[in-house]
Amino acid sequence: MKDELQNYMARPCRYNNIDGTGEMGMGLMMLGYTFLGYVQANLPQGSMWRHGLASMLLFFAVLLLMVGFILWFPKAIKKRITWPRTGYVAYRVGGKAWRKALVGVAVFSAVIAAALGCLRRLDTRHDWISLAWMGNVAIFGAGYAFWIYCFGREHSWKWLILLFMALGLLAIALLVPGDIVGLRWLMLLFIGLTWLGSGGATLFWYIRHTQPPTPAAE
Amino acid sequence: MNEQLRAISELDRVIHEPGRLMIVALLGAVKECDFLYLLHETEMNKGNLSGHLARLEEAGYVEIEKTYRGKVPQTLLRLTRAGRAAFDQYLQGLKAAF
Repeated sequence: MKDELQNYMARPCRYNNIDGTGEMGMGLMMLGYTFLGYVQANLPQGSMWRHGLASMLLFFAVLLLMVGFILWFPKAIKKRITWPRTGYVAYRVGGKAWRKALVGVAVFSAVIAAALGCLRRLDTRHDWISLAWMGNVAIFGAGYAFWIYCFGREHSWKWLILLFMALGLLAIALLVPGDIVGLRWLMLLFIGLTWLGSGGATLFWYIRHTQPPTPAAE
Repeated sequence: MNEQLRAISELDRVIHEPGRLMIVALLGAVKECDFLYLLHETEMNKGNLSGHLARLEEAGYVEIEKTYRGKVPQTLLRLTRAGRAAFDQYLQGLKAAF
């Protein structure tokens, strides 16, 4: 009974992505990183925006814009679509559960960053599906699978999105010439678009299956 | 009396009723939410939900705030400190009972 109760208590957490905004936020973050990488890679070699303090300023300015947009965009959708249809929820900040979640996210991010760093050093060749690329697929696949399990288990079709993502990454490795470093932006672009698409489909499904409230809803 | 039986008999009856337990479990996981959200999550009808909320408010476990979101009336609900403590105690009692 306690397990059922705890599962029930996790519903507000899952509700956060009922409209797909969580996934769209992650997708936008990936697209933002892709944009940032693309801009920096395509600046002229001698450009001041590519070296030293100016490059860091450019990086942080774009990062700030990106984070601002990622925070504003899901909230705007919730305010106009989700809250009037299925209700408003404000989450608790602070407390034991919050600290646990923060530590979890920090550890998870550190492990992913360390794993990506190690894989990048492993090899940069692209004449076969490298161990590094397989590692990337595994890391992003496992991360997304965990995310689906926690927040998106109402939509079983999301597992197909996971499969699509993994196959797409393998196809990029096999079909597009270039090494793993050169292809990282294409990989992030593909993941970002996949997550954005999945979030968009969730939002579409949500709008189709919920009704706007009548004025006397309360 | 057996320890487990004692734990069961000492469970808070205001919270233990299934409808109210659903409400308190949801409110326990958030800072606050509105009536519409509880209606959606618990799948109760408005009358039942209002009745349970009134009982919880009477026990001092839930705070109800009538407000507006733009021009639309909104009823905000949150657990009080006493409500949160009672729910924590209820969960401990449940753990001891099973």
